[in-house]
Amino acid sequence: MTTSYQTIGQPVSRAEGPDKVTGAALYTADLNLPGLLAGKCLRSPYPHARIKSIDASAARRLPGVRAVLTGQDIPENLVGRMLRDFPMLAKDVVRFVGQKVAAVAADDLDIAQHALNLIEVDYEELPAVFDPVEALEAYAPVLHPNFMKYAGRADDPQEHPNAMARATWGIGNVAEGFAQADYIFEHTFRTPHQHQGYIEPHAVIAQVDGQGRLQMWVNCKTPFLLRRQLSEGIGLPQDRIRINPINIGGDFGGKGSFMDSHVAYWLSKATGRPVRMVMNYIEELMAANPRHPAVMTFKTGVKRDGTITARHARLIFDSGAYGAFRPQKGITYGIGAIGPYRMEHSQIDSYLVYTNKVPCGNMRAPGAPQSTFASECQIDLIARELGMDPYQFRLHNLVRDGEESPLGHHWRNFMGKPTLDAAVREAGYQAPKMTPPDLAADGGDWKVGRGIAVCERHVGAGSSTAKISVDGQGQVTLYTPLQDTGAGFYTMLRQVVSEELGVPYNEVSLVPWSTDDARFDSGVGGSRVTHVGGQAVYGAARAVRAKLAALAADLYGWPESQVVFKESMVAAAGHQAVSLGALAARSGGLVEGDFTYDSERDEDLTCFTAQVAEVAVDRETGQVKVLNFTTAQDVGTVLNPQAHQGQIDGGVMQGLGYALLEELKHEDGRISTLTFGEYKMPTIADIPPLRTVLVQSQSGGPSPYGGKAIGEQPISAVAPAIANAVLDAVGASVTQLPITAERVLQALRSQPA
Amino acid sequence: MKKPLQITVNGEIRQFFAEPYCSLLDALRDELLLTGTKKGCDEGDCGACTVLLNGQAVTSCLVLAHSAHDSQVTTVEGLADHQKLHPVQQAFVDHGGLQCGFCTPGLIMSAVGLLQENPNPTEEEVRFAIGGNLCRCTGYNKVVEAILAAAQAMQNKLKA
Repeated sequence: MTTSYQTIGQPVSRAEGPDKVTGAALYTADLNLPGLLAGKCLRSPYPHARIKSIDASAARRLPGVRAVLTGQDIPENLVGRMLRDFPMLAKDVVRFVGQKVAAVAADDLDIAQHALNLIEVDYEELPAVFDPVEALEAYAPVLHPNFMKYAGRADDPQEHPNAMARATWGIGNVAEGFAQADYIFEHTFRTPHQHQGYIEPHAVIAQVDGQGRLQMWVNCKTPFLLRRQLSEGIGLPQDRIRINPINIGGDFGGKGSFMDSHVAYWLSKATGRPVRMVMNYIEELMAANPRHPAVMTFKTGVKRDGTITARHARLIFDSGAYGAFRPQKGITYGIGAIGPYRMEHSQIDSYLVYTNKVPCGNMRAPGAPQSTFASECQIDLIARELGMDPYQFRLHNLVRDGEESPLGHHWRNFMGKPTLDAAVREAGYQAPKMTPPDLAADGGDWKVGRGIAVCERHVGAGSSTAKISVDGQGQVTLYTPLQDTGAGFYTMLRQVVSEELGVPYNEVSLVPWSTDDARFDSGVGGSRVTHVGGQAVYGAARAVRAKLAALAADLYGWPESQVVFKESMVAAAGHQAVSLGALAARSGGLVEGDFTYDSERDEDLTCFTAQVAEVAVDRETGQVKVLNFTTAQDVGTVLNPQAHQGQIDGGVMQGLGYALLEELKHEDGRISTLTFGEYKMPTIADIPPLRTVLVQSQSGGPSPYGGKAIGEQPISAVAPAIANAVLDAVGASVTQLPITAERVLQALRSQPA
Repeated sequence: MKKPLQITVNGEIRQFFAEPYCSLLDALRDELLLTGTKKGCDEGDCGACTVLLNGQAVTSCLVLAHSAHDSQVTTVEGLADHQKLHPVQQAFVDHGGLQCGFCTPGLIMSAVGLLQENPNPTEEEVRFAIGGNLCRCTGYNKVVEAILAAAQAMQNKLKA
């Protein structure tokens, strides 16, 4: 791949950095408006109950209370990202602990909180179901009797009324494949809820202006999709809703749902004043939109030599009480579950199931960390059973470039083997295993092990628009509908402009658009932005460049094709260069270019990740300590190495949390881990030395300059790599995340003597 | 009922009223409109609200505003000298020590607190000092890199 770029490929620092280190960058909860009220919701204490009556009269009488709303006071419209099954406020039935049943707007938060305490709700408890496997049993209570009337539901017939969606993928005929096998293995794995853990809780400000138009500031990374969901819920046409740009304090998939947006509108409408609603972190951990838990059974047939003949995965994703935070109509969760292994027969059956728990949404690589944990752990269990090294077993079965994937795709320039080899080499996978002296000295019975896991994931697709203007002073301004979640694309997009127009990247002014300013944008997420946002900006930059080159040709008689843009100057060989500003000034105004980029996902292109964990396990206590962690990543052109590495470091860290620490624990549907003291996310003390090796693919990807994707890729294989390392160290197979000391000890004790 | 109090914030004496139960964090954000200090968990677990109270890094959500009466408070808004970033701020930018920026003010204040006490910390001391700051974006490595670089830059400046 050529690297003759000026700015692309440079590890330049954040252009938006200075605002973020001085406190100048504004987030939703930082905004203030004249007359701003505080909004807060009353939430259900029951996992499944009928609302018999609500008495809000005392709350309404409290001085300083400006509005109290219940389900009786607003339309019954159901809302959702695709499947519309979620009432804005519960009216008749609550289906999870934390569901909103009433809302208050008051002069300040203390008054609002006091008012909530005065609302009396009479509930009648209903039978509840918490386990997604049980929810599919004939005796399970049906949670959504009106499911067939919901808009946006999947069309396929359901096996059980609690299965809101199912999908099947595969090739061949697994029964035939199992008949060819010498051995058949079947294992079941479980994974818990994972909260995205952004430090900024959900926040929204709604203001209904004098003309009945809704102005909104909200930390939502998909504002155009939110605008549609608002319109469906509140009944205003989309062009009467404006969602304004604002910084987002972390996303990881979690900031695409509506949360309090509809309720904030109703409160603002009822009071005629702007209303701010900020979830506190207890509400976040109780009732936001965490990653789906899953119960996954994998059946795999192999020959004696380790050749996989067939794989069947049955994946049950626990969606919680509603499916409204899921952006797809059908389901895509688990689509890569079978692994990047060669086989003639595969089948994945994936279900999304209602239970009386918190509704789940998207988190970084939705569905993949769950199924990769199951899939890759089973690979090691099989390899060991056959007496093969797990690395050799993977090499034996891994799809090679040019071969068909287990779902029938033909990945171009597939980088599986070189990437796996790089990870193994970089990690010293085959080196002798030594217990570190400090652990050996502490008196435990420590054993060291290494584990591998691999995964692959697409480059995302979608739609975005960009506009670029150049003024007579040479100021270049980039307009984008993408909202900054922090991943670094505001700098990467400036680099694209810099590369094409020859101006320093940090002198490109970036103006985020509101929803009034663009037709549509798919938003941030799904490994999409570098590709889709990048191509939109690239297209706009090329359009401006072409206009400026034509202008120079016109004014100075330069050959249009020989005009170059460099160091804020425009030049052609043998001529006196002019500044960008001087040239633009000659146009009589701004020189502008815009571009809309639309794309479909290319199923024949994927990004491959191989990771190796080295752990020490204390046989006496079950404690696991990660000693080293290595990521090998297949990449195209890396547009900004600093931001790229930041995605890998952050993704691995969230994977470490998923592997070892994080779990929203439930007792009869009540989440008991409601603080960061109990819901444990990695602190710096939990981060082992991380190594990264990038493996260049020759074909590159669809992003400008041949970039691929990195946001979601590094998270999914972390947990199985660690589980496999624990298995290697002490022979304990932990089939449920997180891998706590208790579970390791339990697995050790259940080993045959 | 709101009662008067006085805190020197970023070198400026601020007199205002706050409820007896108002946290220093809420007072900074809601009364003094210094929103650079962030509210994450509001329970002392995430560290996003870290400020310096009489030179010590504290989680301002766990400090009552009135208990900071007559004290010196430094927030992230008080570090830069006009347009010139504090060396810790500059290092966070240069080394990719920030992504979404929400935990960043708290991390920076923890780092500034550390470097005021211990201008030449080891990597282990840096890691210890930010042990109470949750960051979900960076994986922390670039944060440590930034703080060590800031310490070096400040040392070099002293020597020069």
